[in-house]
Amino acid sequence: MKRRLAICTIVCYLGALFYGVASYAVGFKVNHSPAMYFFVWDMFSGWAAYEERLKIIGESEDGNFYQLSPPPWGDYQPFSDLSRHNYDSHSNHAGAVAANTLRHTQHEPMRRVYVVQEVWSKKFNLPDELWADRYPEPKDPHIYYHLRQIRDSSGNLIQNRSTWYGHQNQMALRDNPRLIQDIHKGKPMFQVNPLNRGRDAGAGGRNAVP
Amino acid sequence: MTDSPDATVTNSDSPSTEKGGFFFGQELPHGMAIVRILLPLVLLLVIVPRWPHARELFSADGAAAPLTRNYANSWQLPVPSGTVAVGLTTLLAFTLVTSSIGWCTRISLIASTILFTYLNLLDCIGSLTKYSVIATHGLFCLSLSSCGAVWSVDSLLRRRDLAAGGTSGTTPSHFDAWPRRLLQIMIGMVYLGAALTKMHTPAFFSSDQMRQWMITNVNHSNPIGEYLSFYPAALVVSAYVTVLWEVLFVFLAWRGWGRAIMLSLGVLFHFGTCALLGLYIFPLVCCSLYFAFLDEQDFARVGAFLQRLREKGSRIAEGMITLPDRLTGLIPDVRPRVATTAFALTILVVVAGGIETEYWLDPFGLRRAEGAYELVELDKHEVRSMLRDSERIQESDKYLSFDIGSGLFGDVIAHQRTQFRHGEVLIAQCTLNPPHEDMYIECNLHEHRVEGAADRIIDRVGQIVDRNTLRSSWEFFLFDALPPGKYDLVFQSRGKEITRRTFELLPAE
Repeated sequence: MKRRLAICTIVCYLGALFYGVASYAVGFKVNHSPAMYFFVWDMFSGWAAYEERLKIIGESEDGNFYQLSPPPWGDYQPFSDLSRHNYDSHSNHAGAVAANTLRHTQHEPMRRVYVVQEVWSKKFNLPDELWADRYPEPKDPHIYYHLRQIRDSSGNLIQNRSTWYGHQNQMALRDNPRLIQDIHKGKPMFQVNPLNRGRDAGAGGRNAVP
Repeated sequence: MTDSPDATVTNSDSPSTEKGGFFFGQELPHGMAIVRILLPLVLLLVIVPRWPHARELFSADGAAAPLTRNYANSWQLPVPSGTVAVGLTTLLAFTLVTSSIGWCTRISLIASTILFTYLNLLDCIGSLTKYSVIATHGLFCLSLSSCGAVWSVDSLLRRRDLAAGGTSGTTPSHFDAWPRRLLQIMIGMVYLGAALTKMHTPAFFSSDQMRQWMITNVNHSNPIGEYLSFYPAALVVSAYVTVLWEVLFVFLAWRGWGRAIMLSLGVLFHFGTCALLGLYIFPLVCCSLYFAFLDEQDFARVGAFLQRLREKGSRIAEGMITLPDRLTGLIPDVRPRVATTAFALTILVVVAGGIETEYWLDPFGLRRAEGAYELVELDKHEVRSMLRDSERIQESDKYLSFDIGSGLFGDVIAHQRTQFRHGEVLIAQCTLNPPHEDMYIECNLHEHRVEGAADRIIDRVGQIVDRNTLRSSWEFFLFDALPPGKYDLVFQSRGKEITRRTFELLPAE
């Protein structure tokens, strides 16, 4: 009986391991469920050229802005000297982080929570000595900001925008006049598909915060 | 589960034996015992710092980030209350300690596996990583094994119990090998999966991705990696060696020279990830699992070696051989049943103590004399500028590096230098940052710029770079019509100078 149980365990475990590798190899339902995270070995699947940080900012009803992360009681830094919320690459949990800070602090009523991406080119992470050795120009990082999400004071999502990368890609594509002309030709007068409601009007900033 | 002791000993040099076979050969679990000792200690390095923040990381009273929230249509993981989360984290730390020392080993390992997995799933942005997943698999295989049969408090208590009953218990039992085999195969599949990931990513083999990883700050400090990021040719070589090793590991790491080479390269690879990429825990987790590849004969050889050293008068060898007897003296003289009861009571005391301690620590500062914390106010103008429309990427940020040298290796400059001679071919190469649009970039030859003098152009060379291309090269044949002296190569985009490099032209030898 114990031998059979052992054989069953071996077959199930190895089957799961092989399924994970095979599904990743052919791209079949790799992100279908949370369990796949334990059997898909996609470490180092992609690293960007820009360093990214998240800023979670609360706006009070009086129009004042407050820092919601890192929280005022101290910071948890899981891997280096970065706050935990910076590792939320899809910003799925920014609302929970904001709500936690608001729940445990004294503050005036909050109207909105903004999730902002702060981005700069990774080459500016180099130490000053290495930079001086390799680049003749002075080290002067330019920081980009991109409004990623708008949430209410409970952390619920009101508006979700593309990431900074997605936004830059869109802007690069829209530099093509012929492409824009083709898009306008194919755009329906009326939005009949309910899934397309509330879609971002474009990179022109129509959804920018007034 | 593997308590089918059998006096038949496998020939451990061969992974497949006549009696028992690959999975059910009988062996002493020394390799798994070392994994059992080391892996929980490594995990304690991350669990202990997390403990004071358990309420924030893992509970509904904090900012739990369950992995299931990333999957809209998936079942949602139950998030515990603050007190329960603190209790569970305390319990996890305790069971990791007891797993390592081998006290009520199987219960400790099962509890560690479940708690470690559950708590990590509750914090997918700070706790759940691939190394924690690998460690989960490691704990799972350990909990299936009889790793507590040797080098553990359980084995010492059992030996003492047998001695008290008049039975000689110095020879431990043999157990099925299959949990160790599962762990070995899991390690091999991890590397195979990682190799597939790299094969799916062409930018890995061109060194572009590794360069970006070496200069990121999301991991720990890695000054060696930052320096090496300027030598992409070395990264190209390491990329191919790494993938080759990862693919071959699961096929060669079983015996003989193949095992020695694969494990040695593995240790070197993980040391490299520490030094070059700033990964600390990942290498420790993987290297602790490598001991599963050690067989009975390996330990017999080590034991014989220590014995020889002891006979020659080595104190270190003497200390290591007599360690079990000295440790036995530290353990109270109790029966296994009493020890199990003490284990349960200790859990209650430790968990209750942990919850009480965390309450007094007051991580959110709610019970401070001055009351809850106040929020930090930000400058309005600064915030409003952040909330404006995103601007386009500046031209200077679209390029990562502009190098000059000679020879191409894997499409990168093999030999970076600033002195050339007549007749040689100078290669100028710019590496671009994604995303960028289709661009027209120039690499122009100028006379060396001197303050007060005109910046005279000698040659102007431009080319189109499409949005998918990350590297562009220009070749300049340094003919003798160019007088010896200093020159500048100026990299331009959209008609604007981005950067320049100076080189010296010497006469031909």
